[in-house]
Amino acid sequence: MRAALAVSNVAFTQAPGGNVTSEEILAKLNELFRDLFDDPALTVDPETTADDVEEWDSVSHISMIVAVEQMFGVKIKTAEIESLKNVGDLVRIVADKLN
Amino acid sequence: MLFNSPVFLFAFLPLATAIFYWFGRRSVSRALAALIVASLLFYGWWRPLNLLLIAPSIALNYAIARALIARAEDNSRSSKLLFWFGIAFNICFLAYFKYTDFLATLANDVAGTGFSLQHIVLPLGISFITFQKIALLIDARAGRITRIGLRDYVLFVLFFPPLISGPIVHYRELMPQFERLDGRMHWQDMTVGATLFFMGLGKKLLLADPIALHINPIWDMTAAGQAPSLIYAWSAVLGFVVQLYFDFSGYSDMAIGLARLFGIRLPHNFNSPLRAMSIIDYWARWHVTLTRFLTAYLFSPISLALTRARLARGQQVVSGRRTKLPTFLILVAMPTMLTMLISGIWHGAGYQFVLFGALHGMALIINHAWRTWKPKPPKGAPKTSPAARWLFLSWLVTIGFAVLAKVFFRAADIHSALLMIKALIGGGGLALPQALGALASSVLGWNVVASSGGTTDFLHMIGLVALAWTIALVMPNSHEMLAAYEPALDFQPIAGRRKIELCWRPGRRWAIAMAALALLGLMSLGQVSAFLYWKF
Repeated sequence: MRAALAVSNVAFTQAPGGNVTSEEILAKLNELFRDLFDDPALTVDPETTADDVEEWDSVSHISMIVAVEQMFGVKIKTAEIESLKNVGDLVRIVADKLN
Repeated sequence: MLFNSPVFLFAFLPLATAIFYWFGRRSVSRALAALIVASLLFYGWWRPLNLLLIAPSIALNYAIARALIARAEDNSRSSKLLFWFGIAFNICFLAYFKYTDFLATLANDVAGTGFSLQHIVLPLGISFITFQKIALLIDARAGRITRIGLRDYVLFVLFFPPLISGPIVHYRELMPQFERLDGRMHWQDMTVGATLFFMGLGKKLLLADPIALHINPIWDMTAAGQAPSLIYAWSAVLGFVVQLYFDFSGYSDMAIGLARLFGIRLPHNFNSPLRAMSIIDYWARWHVTLTRFLTAYLFSPISLALTRARLARGQQVVSGRRTKLPTFLILVAMPTMLTMLISGIWHGAGYQFVLFGALHGMALIINHAWRTWKPKPPKGAPKTSPAARWLFLSWLVTIGFAVLAKVFFRAADIHSALLMIKALIGGGGLALPQALGALASSVLGWNVVASSGGTTDFLHMIGLVALAWTIALVMPNSHEMLAAYEPALDFQPIAGRRKIELCWRPGRRWAIAMAALALLGLMSLGQVSAFLYWKF
């Protein structure tokens, strides 16, 4: 997955004309992850993958997606869910939908 | 053509590689055409009829995929209908070859009908090829593929390394790599590919096959209705687990290594599953590409649809420790069980595979229930890592269960599986080869029946099984050894585990070691045996 990794290394830029920045989305996601995994010390960054969080499995993944949809008022497609490789991908999908 | 057959090793592979790079120097597109021809030869070698059987299915799938791509983002009824027709066609195609006899048996057993069994011969690798085609249709419908040519589609379906038993690879993973090829031979691809290939060959020929030679007679005896004695039963069961692991992970290494010889990386399939600390973890490390296929295309869509439906009705969804039992049963337990039952039946058409899937479904549900409701340390308490004895207990419960479930995977039917499990707790008595039996009765005062097997054979069997388990549990796995050279897609070594450092690097020492391994492997080519997963 060299291509995918390369993309995720790129620093986030503010979406043109957007009103929500990637940093704001990431901060919101951090709150959500701490609550979801019941771990107040948990911090996620764009590079974080399911392998890095012990209890991030297929079940909590679904709960996470639904919680994200509710938090941001967006709908994430099944195809998008499968292509998520890390938190950075999730931030990008949410940013695309909001802006 | 088997990867471990002389015709493959000494004729097909050298020729296919040489011709590929010979054309590659002139034109990549001709090299890819040569690769398709080689793959056709590879697939048709055992039974040319197989080519005729899958050709219409390839043509139809290609037509449907093209139509779906042309209508991307189109949610009309006809486009939905076309998509579901494609999925149904592939499932029926697989079901006809794989499940006709099983369905007839089921009907005969349940409804007392008298269907006769057809004994249809499976086209090689059909279970794997079908999953790849289904994944492609889903990707096409979802708009993740924007264009597709006939040559690319045929290359995707027939590319020979992962053709027969995976790793199950996605079009979107494979095609960009083919497009990036420059047609030249790169030393890193050749050395890493060959190293991985020979590691896999070694796993298969030096561990899996010799173990099979010892334990197959014990399983045959059980299938004939005779319970093996205690130590033989444990050797057969523990032996089969490592046989299957080294057979299938060996096959996967060979497939991934072969693809690399052509400059292509396949997704990884195994990551030391026998070291898993939970059954959820086990399935994230065993046959990884099947797990991700079933999770993405079965579990997630079902669970997500149910979760959204409950939200829309104002009902509870999974919410950590506050999750109520009915919520858990509907949103976690049911989709999990359904997925594992389908996984079981995909592995083989027989009652014992249904039971194998059901057992793993139960175990996963228990594991998820534990994760949901397990006691948590009070808020603010410092985070401590679990004590070694808890880790050991987690491992023992996980692997103990996986070993028991494998009995149903290996046994000829449910009856002989139960007989084997009885033998594991002494149902077949304790018998030892004569010399050892005499020793046990004189030193320990045991009253032991003499078994028919010889002492050397017996000790050889136990030694091999113990050696294989030690390698699986202690040694770094093949991908960890090659980690610096990105042997496979999406591979991440398991972090934080104390392990023996053994990293492959180009140089004289590793060259000699790998040449020795290759030679040992080639010397045991005598009896060519099929890979266990080729029949699925």
